[in-house]
Amino acid sequence: MTNPKWLAVAARSSGQHDWTLGYVFEQYRKYENKSAEALAEELGCSPDTLAWLSLCRRPSEEHFAEHLEEIGKRFEVEPHRLAAVIRHVEFLDVLPERRDAEEEGEESFLLAARDHTDEDDETNS
Amino acid sequence: MSQPPPTDEKLLHERVLRKDPVVSTEVFKTYVDQIVDVLTKHLGCDEDDANQCAVDVVFSYLTNPKRYDPGKGRLGAYLTQAAKYRALDKRRAADARERRNQKYGSDVERRATSPKEVVENSVEAKRIMERLEKRQVLKSERDRKAVRRILMGEGSTKRLAEELELGPLPRDELKREVKRHRDRLMKLLERFGQSLERGGKEESDDES
Repeated sequence: MTNPKWLAVAARSSGQHDWTLGYVFEQYRKYENKSAEALAEELGCSPDTLAWLSLCRRPSEEHFAEHLEEIGKRFEVEPHRLAAVIRHVEFLDVLPERRDAEEEGEESFLLAARDHTDEDDETNS
Repeated sequence: MSQPPPTDEKLLHERVLRKDPVVSTEVFKTYVDQIVDVLTKHLGCDEDDANQCAVDVVFSYLTNPKRYDPGKGRLGAYLTQAAKYRALDKRRAADARERRNQKYGSDVERRATSPKEVVENSVEAKRIMERLEKRQVLKSERDRKAVRRILMGEGSTKRLAEELELGPLPRDELKREVKRHRDRLMKLLERFGQSLERGGKEESDDES
């Protein structure tokens, strides 16, 4: 199956959201000076799979092993390889502190959109 | 492009709220294509812009899923509407930028003179200056410099103030002073021009 055109855009944008694996990968690549291809090789996956992985949420501390397992199973990646990358970045202390209130300050345009959806044709679909 | 059944959509949203690690990929797969389709077909967005807007709204939703109220409508409709607003905002911003650039361009165009005009102005200014020197119309060096500038088409208050050796003055006063000197020199040039017309023959004799 071919990947959608938006996948590259989404993978690139994921680096701006610290809750994503894309953010972890971007930090890792920056600190280790690695290309996306080299990181994919390290994780034992294709660059396309790396792009999909980038859209995943970072495993939470409370369910780290469980989430790693789930991600690994879905994308056929060895969980320990992924864990090594995540822990490496955490060790370098470049990941911001996880917080539930990370949403604060997010764009409010979705709220504005919410107010209008009832009037829009799209809502009737 | 069909939307998932409401029950599936509800489950998807619940998994997003639970921070399921892989659900985000499913949200992207489920909604981005349909959002891009609406943006390109209904709003006439190009594919790149549509992709970026769709991706941005999905990330916004995933970052803050509580802002979506399932009681008020379908998730697909919510995301599509948000993407439409985002695309329209981007378009408005691009239009405003374009208008600013056009205004700047026309302002610059209005000010700029072509290289040919510059040369012509320069030659003409030199010719007139030679005549003015010959008739000793300009009594001081600063007047000579200022007139040369005026003849070259200089409109800058600052430059003319420099040539007129006007000391540091408050901005308004400086503008007034430059205008006063400019008017004086223009009258002088006007009178000189009239005198040339009156004594055209003499002038042509002088030139020969």
